Amino acid sequence: MDALTKTWLWLLALVLGTVALAQGAGPLAGAGLLALAALKARAILGQFLHLAGAPGWLPAVMTPLLLWLALIGMLSAL
Amino acid sequence: MRLDDLPGELLMWVLILSELLVFAAGITVMAALRLRDPTGFAEAQALLDGRLAALNTVILVSSGYAAARAERAAARSRKRAARLGLGLAGLGGLAFLGLKAVEYAGDWQRGISMEASPFFTFYYLLTGFHAAHVIAGVALLALVAWRARPDAVQAGAMFWHMVDLVWVLILPPIYLLG
Repeated sequence: MDALTKTWLWLLALVLGTVALAQGAGPLAGAGLLALAALKARAILGQFLHLAGAPGWLPAVMTPLLLWLALIGMLSAL
Repeated sequence: MRLDDLPGELLMWVLILSELLVFAAGITVMAALRLRDPTGFAEAQALLDGRLAALNTVILVSSGYAAARAERAAARSRKRAARLGLGLAGLGGLAFLGLKAVEYAGDWQRGISMEASPFFTFYYLLTGFHAAHVIAGVALLALVAWRARPDAVQAGAMFWHMVDLVWVLILPPIYLLG
């Protein structure tokens, strides 16, 4: 199985995880949903958009993205 | 970390990051407005059909996979395989739009318009703007499939992955985070 197929299956697994976690409620479930969104974004950026092969660029894009998701999580939990 | 290390055209990355910023700004404003009326936002959000959104996520990430395979095929000068991948990606986009239309129609039948509540104003603006990008993406995929040149197919696939990326990021705040 090649890397692209693995990434696709990983994304499908993350979607299934999102569906399962969406049944829950509260800040913990919300944090989990945002973490799953971050993992999906990392897979798309790293493998489909090839940033995993560009030294330094994946963390450079993911860091502000994670900070933004944390902000959204905090605003939702208030 | 150098600009030369970035895969594809630099301009595509400028576009991808700009689009991410625009959608992030919209979601942030929506999340901030939720603080003024958390109950109203939660009640409005509960009216949405999360099952259709989940199905659309499966369609879009699968469509992204087809675009990625098309990009790889084009890089290896396998034009027929590239066109097949682009075609499948485009069909995924059309399926996404079809489901979105079903979702909007259901919303309208229940009297949920853009003016129904501040939540729905953002819901229609953000998902509608995203759907407009899906339409543009499908057109772009069809355009680059014409000659299936490696650099053009890569640009088309990058745009399509951006559409996919934006969707997975706006999904939780719009549909799931109560």
